[in-house]
Amino acid sequence: MALDLSMPVLVVDDYKTMIRIIRNLLKQLGFSDIDDAADGTEALEKMKQRKYGLVISDWNMEPMTGYELLKQVRSDSGLCKTPFIMVTAESKTENVIAAKKAGVNNYIVKPFNAQTLKGKIDAVFND
Amino acid sequence: MIPMTKNDVSGVIKFLEDNKARGDHVSLNDVMRLAEVMAGDFKGFLHSYAPSMRQEFEDIANEIARMKQEVVQLRASDMKHNRIPEAGRELDAIVDATEEATQTIMAAAEEIMAADTSDATAYQTMVGDKMIEIFEACAFQDITGQRISKVVKTLSYIDERVTHFVERLRIMENDEGDVEETADERRQRELILHGPQHAGEGVSQDEIDAMLGGSDQADIDKLFD
Repeated sequence: MALDLSMPVLVVDDYKTMIRIIRNLLKQLGFSDIDDAADGTEALEKMKQRKYGLVISDWNMEPMTGYELLKQVRSDSGLCKTPFIMVTAESKTENVIAAKKAGVNNYIVKPFNAQTLKGKIDAVFND
Repeated sequence: MIPMTKNDVSGVIKFLEDNKARGDHVSLNDVMRLAEVMAGDFKGFLHSYAPSMRQEFEDIANEIARMKQEVVQLRASDMKHNRIPEAGRELDAIVDATEEATQTIMAAAEEIMAADTSDATAYQTMVGDKMIEIFEACAFQDITGQRISKVVKTLSYIDERVTHFVERLRIMENDEGDVEETADERRQRELILHGPQHAGEGVSQDEIDAMLGGSDQADIDKLFD
């Protein structure tokens, strides 16, 4: 799967500041079509209305967490192929294992830098 | 043995009659008061045929008085109405201050990134001004540090009093009953919500990369060896 910088990216986080940070980092990486959602429920609604090329999601949100969003996305035949990167402060081994089992494409632990974000996006699309 | 009469337990009867409409609204203080009344009534009755038990009842009465003093020393009302709400206000102020500073710093950075660089002098002046704004915004760290110190003092105050209370009442760990899991705790457990880990805890980005790079269950199982 080739990396297309014009593809729409959905950033899911309940902290506007974090959305702003990721949005700016993505712009620096060359992405121009960036959308956002405040939790899994809003993200899922947006994903059903528009086809995103990449989802970058936090884990700990209410009412629907990023983990639940990931499982919903993977169980939906129309969305299951969407690349999904988890960006979270949840750094326990069981979180990483659960995300991997649920089908996450990559996992970034907060705090992170632009280089890490770029590296993980490249890894997802070079797989 | 001399039969116990209504007069011997008149204090207990009066206490129960006075409080029979209380239903489930019984406090620790009520229980201690009842124990105090019972000890007083029984002391008089038992002393009449077993004088040696007088000291036992005096000890019980003294223990109850000591427990009441410990409850007073706990200053639960002060904690509930003053110290905990004040600590909450401090934490809210910290969140607000960090949010405001973050927005200021990010806005300055965004303006620098989006600035027109064709006029080098104007660009340099603008960058200098924005840098000053960033330095000024970083002053939040001093204020939030002071607020955090106040919250830590409150937590220490509560910890000190509760620990002292538990020790003085000789409440042992074995005495702690099972506590029913709350809906919030269940959500945290089921959705694996631990929150941020401290430095050195949790797994690093390199370890996560290694875990995700593994190809099968055996790689995951190795983590638990």
